[in-house]
Amino acid sequence: MIAPRGAAPRRRASDGMSAGRKSDLPSRSPRTPRPNQATLALLAMAVLLSGCNAAGASTVGNAEQGAVYVDRAACGSCHVIPGVALADGQVGPPLSHFGSRMLIAGTLPNSPDDLTFWLRHPQQVRPGTTMPDTGLTEPQARDVAAFLYGLK
Amino acid sequence: MTGLRHPLSWARRHRRSILIFAAGGATLGVTLAAGGAIVSGFGLFPADAFTPHNPIVARIAHWTFVRSVRHHAGDEAPPRFTPEQVEAGFRQYEQDCVMCHGAPGVARAPWVTGMNPGPPYLMGAARRWTPAQMRWIVANGAKMTGMPAWRVSRSDQQIWNLVGFLEAMSHMSAADYARMRASAQASGAAPKSR
Repeated sequence: MIAPRGAAPRRRASDGMSAGRKSDLPSRSPRTPRPNQATLALLAMAVLLSGCNAAGASTVGNAEQGAVYVDRAACGSCHVIPGVALADGQVGPPLSHFGSRMLIAGTLPNSPDDLTFWLRHPQQVRPGTTMPDTGLTEPQARDVAAFLYGLK
Repeated sequence: MTGLRHPLSWARRHRRSILIFAAGGATLGVTLAAGGAIVSGFGLFPADAFTPHNPIVARIAHWTFVRSVRHHAGDEAPPRFTPEQVEAGFRQYEQDCVMCHGAPGVARAPWVTGMNPGPPYLMGAARRWTPAQMRWIVANGAKMTGMPAWRVSRSDQQIWNLVGFLEAMSHMSAADYARMRASAQASGAAPKSR
């Protein structure tokens, strides 16, 4: 069973995608080794195109990796997901501002543990929901949760 | 030039700028083509399915597909689908489609997660596409996606049934789908066409 948990989804302001981290990318301080040009360009592109969710620092999981799983699990065929290419589905609710949502599926408190459980077993939490079990492993679901909490 | 305005006077006055602009454009084009040839020729493009597409590539490829479907599909479609067609389409869907595209409350097969681009869930397909467009996609498939051209192995009638079912599925709950599965099971396994 899923015990409701008190932990709020809101993360500390220092978490993740602070402006400082973003501006690290193009800068070249003398002590860091010169990053390969192509890698740099790709990173810059990834950050630009993913709506800056590529930062990836989180207590739940790796948000950047989570974005990859969101793409592989085809979440975008049913949900609008900011920062994920072609995720424009109109079947389920849009996932914008997910990090600020209070409830998951109108049922569970939006805590990292409950979100991870929901992502793996929506049919257990709400039998008969259209959302299928995603087939994500627990660590993968945590990464996806980290990604979703990046959507403020 | 005197006071008379020659039609080409603008071009004459800005000749230098125009030449520079054209030269810049040509240089850019040649550079891009050469870059593409180098990436492909030296095998640098990640042609594997594990590496996600660059988002720009993904968007361009998808846009190209959508435009192609709209251009080719036409708008010929039956005004309505009979319950028998929807029922037959459901059996076709269970046999040919559900493992890759899922259904309300039904996950895709686990290995499908390894496809790139991945096959979408189709609960919202009837909202994205007209019946004529769905028929065209099912019949003709999609290059480099893993979606086969079903016209090779399925009849026009079977494909239209499927489109009828896709229309119906957009209004279906997971419980509705489970019920259809149960009643299909009760009435015996459908004869399989291979």
